[in-house]
Amino acid sequence: MTIRTLEKREAGAVGVRTPLIDGVDKVTGKAKYTADLMVPDALVGKILRSPVAHARILSIDTSAAEALDGVMAVATGADTPIPFGVLPIAENEYPLARDKVRYRGDPIAAVAAVDEATADAALKLIRVEYEHLPVYIDARKAMEPGAEPLHQDKPNNVLREVHHEFGDIEAGFAAADLVREKVFRFAEVNHMHMEPNATLAEYDGDKDWLTLHTTTQVPYYVHLKVSSCLQVDPSRVRVVKPFLGGGFGARTECLSFEIIAGLLARKANGTVRVLQTREETFISHRGRPEAEIRMKLGMTRDGKITACAEECIQRGGAYAGYGIITILYAGALLHGLYEIPNIKYDGWRVYTNTPPCGAMRGHGTVDARAAFEALLNEMAEELGLDAFAVRRANLIPSVPFTTLYAQKIMSYGLPECLDKVLKASGWAERRGKMPKGRGLGLACSHFVSGTSTPKHWTGEPHATVNLKLDFDGGVTLLTGAADIGQGSNTMAAQMVKQVLGVDLNRIRVISADSAVTPKDNGSYSSRVTFMVGNAAIDAAKALQRILNEAAAKKLDARPEDIECVDEVFRVVGGQHPGLSFHEVVKAALVDTGTITVKGTFTPPIEFQGDKKIKGSAIGATMGFCYAAQVVEASVDEVTGKVTVHKVWVAVDVGRALNPLAVEGQIQGGVWMGMGQALSEETRFDQGRMIHSNIIDYRVPTMADSPDMEVIIVESMDPNGPFGAKEASEGMLSGFLPALMDAVHEAAGVRPDALPLTPDRMLDLLESREAAQ
Amino acid sequence: MTNLPDFRYVRPTSVDDAVKALAAPGALPIAGATDLLPNLRRGLKQPEALVDLTAIGGLAMLEETAEGWLIGAGLPLAALADHPSLSRHLPVLAEAARAVAGPTHRAAGTVGGNLCQDTRCIFYNQSEWWRSGNGYCLKYQGDRCHVAPKTSRCFATYRGDLAPALLVLGAEAELASAGGRRNLPLAQLFQDDGAAHLTLAPGEILVAVKVPRNDRLVAGYAKLRVRDSIDFPLVGVAAALERDGDRLVRLRLAITGTNSAPLAVSTEGLEGEAWDEKTAKALADRLNKTAKLQNTTTIGMKYRRRVLLAAARRLIDGLWEQGKAP
Repeated sequence: MTIRTLEKREAGAVGVRTPLIDGVDKVTGKAKYTADLMVPDALVGKILRSPVAHARILSIDTSAAEALDGVMAVATGADTPIPFGVLPIAENEYPLARDKVRYRGDPIAAVAAVDEATADAALKLIRVEYEHLPVYIDARKAMEPGAEPLHQDKPNNVLREVHHEFGDIEAGFAAADLVREKVFRFAEVNHMHMEPNATLAEYDGDKDWLTLHTTTQVPYYVHLKVSSCLQVDPSRVRVVKPFLGGGFGARTECLSFEIIAGLLARKANGTVRVLQTREETFISHRGRPEAEIRMKLGMTRDGKITACAEECIQRGGAYAGYGIITILYAGALLHGLYEIPNIKYDGWRVYTNTPPCGAMRGHGTVDARAAFEALLNEMAEELGLDAFAVRRANLIPSVPFTTLYAQKIMSYGLPECLDKVLKASGWAERRGKMPKGRGLGLACSHFVSGTSTPKHWTGEPHATVNLKLDFDGGVTLLTGAADIGQGSNTMAAQMVKQVLGVDLNRIRVISADSAVTPKDNGSYSSRVTFMVGNAAIDAAKALQRILNEAAAKKLDARPEDIECVDEVFRVVGGQHPGLSFHEVVKAALVDTGTITVKGTFTPPIEFQGDKKIKGSAIGATMGFCYAAQVVEASVDEVTGKVTVHKVWVAVDVGRALNPLAVEGQIQGGVWMGMGQALSEETRFDQGRMIHSNIIDYRVPTMADSPDMEVIIVESMDPNGPFGAKEASEGMLSGFLPALMDAVHEAAGVRPDALPLTPDRMLDLLESREAAQ
Repeated sequence: MTNLPDFRYVRPTSVDDAVKALAAPGALPIAGATDLLPNLRRGLKQPEALVDLTAIGGLAMLEETAEGWLIGAGLPLAALADHPSLSRHLPVLAEAARAVAGPTHRAAGTVGGNLCQDTRCIFYNQSEWWRSGNGYCLKYQGDRCHVAPKTSRCFATYRGDLAPALLVLGAEAELASAGGRRNLPLAQLFQDDGAAHLTLAPGEILVAVKVPRNDRLVAGYAKLRVRDSIDFPLVGVAAALERDGDRLVRLRLAITGTNSAPLAVSTEGLEGEAWDEKTAKALADRLNKTAKLQNTTTIGMKYRRRVLLAAARRLIDGLWEQGKAP
């Protein structure tokens, strides 16, 4: 299907399956990604990385590298005195290490040279002396008394402890008929975005201007951190995000290679390309941390949850990054899926000598949700209750609803999601009667539609969209939102099309170029559709007012009686054949010339958490996406291989603005959950990363991908753009416990560690044999 | 992955010209490039010259003769997997070919390249930065094996899929060098040394494999891996047998992903027996003794050994059923 085969007026209308407006450019290779941007005289930038996981730097000698013919710049930590980090309260990472290296791969020095061979040769000439320090790969070892601190301000290597209690947890457990507690372990995973990291940095020495084209989800953060670390006025920096091959959270913070590229360009007074290998992209990491989760639930005989207590230890890696947010999210999203009267959460985010973790699709909630739902399924079985019945016993009673954590729920499609997957999967007829070695499993999950509290408080709106209308009748939509493949450019154009009643092709979207587009907070926490969508609607309404006034004047009517349908302006109920779009534009431009309007969006204060609840800024949102899914899987008892055959997933997305794009996002979310559940994990051997390629880091292939039936549930959120909410993260975490439950039916064992690789599965089967 | 090293590139059109070019020091053959190219980009080899074998006429042949099949070393794996007559008569070969990597690798990769692929190890298949920070290793540029530090040999593991299938079919290898041509049983193309796992003389190349016809033989290949595409075998096992009533007339077993070479497991004394618990136990003991697993990949030895034995048993159980007279 192409846009052309759709009726012209239909393409892009809310609810119409519309291919992304830049989809053809991507599949034909026309789209230019950062590494495709060729500048004839660009220098090659390369980074020297620490070969050891934890050491003090005693000396760095770059003299031989500097003397090498063809080397145009050499940089070290001496050039980068300002640390960076995505959270203003925890900036402790230097673009180039200064006193210490804290993981194998930590950047130490960088060179810009005329070609790759010279750059490689220069790196080999740099001499570094280290004093080795103890290496901690395991979070519990790093927390032990007497462990060498990675950072002086945290002697116990704990970046942040969180302790929350809501309700009366002891009374809650006392009121339960069944209390169960279990420890789950989740391996660390990486985003495995297809496009490796890359930056093209151009420095104009005359003006002291630095332009970066870079692989980011948040150009704004790159802008802030590059200016700060290079100590340059932000007005002299321009950040452009070209086409981007995915992100999934890896690029929601400025990364060292981006700052290094800028530094090298300035030092060399020229243009520098820093193209990172897959290995270096794994080293930059920012993935989901390894987590040990102790989950405790209390339940009455009829399945009502009386209390939930979670303890979570996250192996965070060497620097703070998003760590404080991740450890808060792991508790914050115990709330909001079900009504639970008593919730306690204790979390520890730990520094270790591994690449820094960060935000990853389903930020913070995935492992906690998996542990919760897995234990819920186990307890339901123990009480002889059906998995669906247990969920229904704990539904949020009605909306609006406010959670114990002060989150407001305005729409709640979970009951319908449950009904739909129950029916589609044939659960009632099939569960418990599956052939040997095969099983079905159910789980639910949710995620925020954007965080209502930005990490950098500015008092500015969360999203701003500009529209420009000129003599040609073309509408140019300017947004800082980074389309990272999720389709935000298409979404923004759709909002304007829907409000104005014009063709989708009349709207050109220009996005993510700081010199042109208004600032946006960035593509993270599934905020863009909700916030930029609403800002685009706001801007379109402003433009509509201007056009309607011009049309009203010409038609001798009141502006509020004007409507524009299929690019024709008419008086509602009138006899006049109407005015064409061009006629109205011409009229509107008289005296004013080019029209520019602005729309913004800011979540109202009541959605920004409760100041009385510490940490409640994290997990505060305008609304949650809800998902229920049934997974059908089999277990090969000879090889231990787990195969997923089918997934039925129903997701409450508020409203599917573009069902085609929504389905793709849902499939991707489920699939990513499958990778974490079945095969993906990072591995370290004495600090050495041994998974830094796609052979050893086992992201699923097409051959491993199951049939997926996506069911869209529309709860019409009152605040979402045309009712829409988040649609790409909420379903991820549910896959893990649904698979664990399916494996239980198939093989009679309850997994407590993921991924469920064949070796782990055989160990489980072996312990089952031993128990029998 | 970084830039390739500098090398001369030649693309001869005959085997004679190819072996002449390969007689020069530092020359390496290249065909589909799926194995060599990633290794070159990681700095694992520094060839003076690459001799591209893909323009040699006849090297990609597949001929059926009265005695059997002659398979050119240059035949793409995809062509081997899809060949109609071969799929009917030697389904194990097509099965093993289909198990290799992913579709694009099979379109480019060749029979000869798959057989002669380099051995693999988590301490070897890494970038120059990674290896230099780890003091390199015995296989290349270093003097220490990180897998087995007390030994003096390299334990990098052979992970080809075709070799075990061809071994149980009794294949022969045809080799060419500047000195002429020679044939040898395929097993003799390999030796159990991770740093020198091929017995090819310097400049010598594999030009074809010969597979004898035996329509009474039933054979299969079991590849153990985490993902159904791309992955190398964690272990792989091929088996072939000929059954006469309740007797094994012939039994062959070969393994990959265990040692530095694909190895045939001795079945001496088991032919003539029934395939029963006793025979299975005897074979398992030999398989256990032959497979010298090491920690050369991300999944541990305990699992690989366990699943090697279990998969071999299941494979032969199935072939024993399949081998019943119709």
